[in-house]
Amino acid sequence: MAEITKIVDARGLSCPQPVLIASDEMAALETGRIEVLTDCGASPENVGRAAKAAGWRLVSSSEDKGTVRLVLEKP
Amino acid sequence: MKLPFGWRAKAPRRGQEGSRIQGHDRGVMAFSHTAEVIRAEAALKAAGLAVRVMGPPPDMRTGCDMVVEFELVREPLARRVLAEAKLSPLAVAPVRAGMLEPVSLYQIKDFGQWLMVRAANMKLTVDKDTRVIVNISGGGCPDVPALAELLVGQTLDAAPSPLATGQTLCAYALELAFREAQRQLPTHPQPTHPQPEHPRPEQS
Repeated sequence: MAEITKIVDARGLSCPQPVLIASDEMAALETGRIEVLTDCGASPENVGRAAKAAGWRLVSSSEDKGTVRLVLEKP
Repeated sequence: MKLPFGWRAKAPRRGQEGSRIQGHDRGVMAFSHTAEVIRAEAALKAAGLAVRVMGPPPDMRTGCDMVVEFELVREPLARRVLAEAKLSPLAVAPVRAGMLEPVSLYQIKDFGQWLMVRAANMKLTVDKDTRVIVNISGGGCPDVPALAELLVGQTLDAAPSPLATGQTLCAYALELAFREAQRQLPTHPQPTHPQPEHPRPEQS
């Protein structure tokens, strides 16, 4: 499995901020793997949607104690 | 739709507790679905009636619905207008002040590169430079995921009207946020830098 290029810790932030920060990183990196941590209920779906719109792929999504970990990838 | 006041409940008399907007008791009309609410709003406004689309009072709420608020004293005229438009409200009820949530109140938040417009329960965030919709959140209505799928990644010009797809209070609120975002971020934005003033003609 490829290494994570960047970790976006958006815990404690409400929507749309996790999406905006993740979008910023996607634009800055262009390619790679980004791990997004969020505890905002609506954000995982929205981050995934923003990733798709930006040409990235949601590789995995997991939840642990209220924190959702999303991995985005653009080869 | 559950009505707290009963079908065609009577308005409170003047002086009793009641909503007073511009000095009139207010009532709400409920319809079977959102498309009818939108048609009713347009027909009533065209007839010169002061109406607003609102989120229903908590005990009338069934999820993602809306009601049309109007002046109770104009109910006969409102009913005639609606009948001409082949619309029939499911229920009409008086409302007390503070029970309704206006859908058309905006909140604008600047996130630097992005602008978020909130209308009622829906938030729409747009990249200020590209005018691309980067996020849609809020709501809780069943059509929000489909609306977001449709709009996110599109520019404010290319994106379809939310109300062309959605039929809920969320779609209505999103439509308002969408239009407000278009107004806030026009295609040809006004220059933010001060423009040189034209030299004034010399006074003779």
